[in-house]
Amino acid sequence: MSGTPHDHYASGHDDQAHDHDHDDHKPVNEHDDGPPGEYEIMSRAMQELLEQKGIITAEQVTKRMEQFDEEFPYHGGQVVARAWVDPAFKQRLLADGRAACAEMGAMLEAERLIAVENTPQVHNVIVCTLCSCYPRALLGMPPTWYKSRNYRSRVVFEPRSVLREFGTVLPDNVTVRVHDSNADMRYLVVPMRPAGTEGWSEEKLAGILSRDTLVGVTVPRLPA
Amino acid sequence: MKTIPSDIGGEPAGPVDTIDHGMRHWERQANAFRSVVQLKKITCTDELRRAAEELGGRYKDMQYFEITTSAVRKVLIEKGMFTEQQLQAKMAEIRARFNVPDEIESPLKTAAKK
Amino acid sequence: MSGSASLKSTYTPAPEHRFKVGDKVVVKTAHPPGHRRTPQYIRGKQGVIERICGAYPNPEELAYGFDGKPERVLYRVRFFQTHVWTGYAGPANDIIEMEIYEHWLDPAGAQS
Repeated sequence: MSGTPHDHYASGHDDQAHDHDHDDHKPVNEHDDGPPGEYEIMSRAMQELLEQKGIITAEQVTKRMEQFDEEFPYHGGQVVARAWVDPAFKQRLLADGRAACAEMGAMLEAERLIAVENTPQVHNVIVCTLCSCYPRALLGMPPTWYKSRNYRSRVVFEPRSVLREFGTVLPDNVTVRVHDSNADMRYLVVPMRPAGTEGWSEEKLAGILSRDTLVGVTVPRLPA
Repeated sequence: MKTIPSDIGGEPAGPVDTIDHGMRHWERQANAFRSVVQLKKITCTDELRRAAEELGGRYKDMQYFEITTSAVRKVLIEKGMFTEQQLQAKMAEIRARFNVPDEIESPLKTAAKK
Repeated sequence: MSGSASLKSTYTPAPEHRFKVGDKVVVKTAHPPGHRRTPQYIRGKQGVIERICGAYPNPEELAYGFDGKPERVLYRVRFFQTHVWTGYAGPANDIIEMEIYEHWLDPAGAQS
């Protein structure tokens, strides 16, 4: 391959259409409007029953909500930013993702993490067709589209069309490598580091590693 | 030959809505509760997946957190953590709490506003 | 694609594994009821072992409250998209990979 890596990624969207990328970590509503639904009541009832039996506490559930909101969504970007600046760490991440994440304090629920690296020749994208398996301890909760029937059904057999809907257009000489996260592994995409980020701090690099880039539906771009 | 309602890879489907619509508050509670139940080793991912699949024909018309909440319910009852009757009674109690007229502040509403 | 395939894995050893990296395999065409992690669309398709993930409790047993012993060897198998989907619209080098337990795999050429 010749040329700079990012020659590959023509954008099918204008920048305006990508604004949602920057909303990845927006806080969610503190409570819902309207009367509670049947499943909300069911879930609260189950929690209270287990609290009454002394099996769990409300504090444990609240703590977990906070972790999902405030902690987990940032781990993935931090891990990949470290991999971008530290080649030895990147090798450890690619060899054994779970152990490398643990070095940085990110403990996965799943057995193993497989980190897959984008190169000028290969673009990786992750899906779970059977449910919605996702590295939650690294990326927080999956976005709506990841759980959607349309994404789960289609990205396995027409990945290039689906990527185009996210504004990611790949030429035919780049292999699209789809990973169906169908059993016990979890996956994280290590995107290519864009030109123009030389000398950036890990924190600044993590800022361009949106959730969507780490699932592989978009690629990191410099702020306009 | 399809035996599992969640096994949808390869089915024709429409364009992907690429916007993340976030989570409602109750979904955050449901997710955190499910996660704590797993951390306590009361159940595991495979049991929850299986319980979700056993929703059968209902699966395709349900939202994600409706599916996961139904799966948790099924597994917890299977494991004798509570009975269906106990769950129904508790749900009635919570429903009644929500039905407190607005001029009398429901403790639950007060908690939610904090 | 040879670059990422040659990556050394530090995963759980599975000394008893039946297949090695690079072996050609076929996913079984079977439709047993119950909880299965082998997607329908990949059953009957031929691929290549990409890596050995290790031995894990059998999810088909864990799903019903059993302990999943004996553990089963889990592989990542790589398939050419053109071998999976009739009329795949992308280039011939596009691939899809997923995890398949050993008891769902046969050596290529040996299937009946």
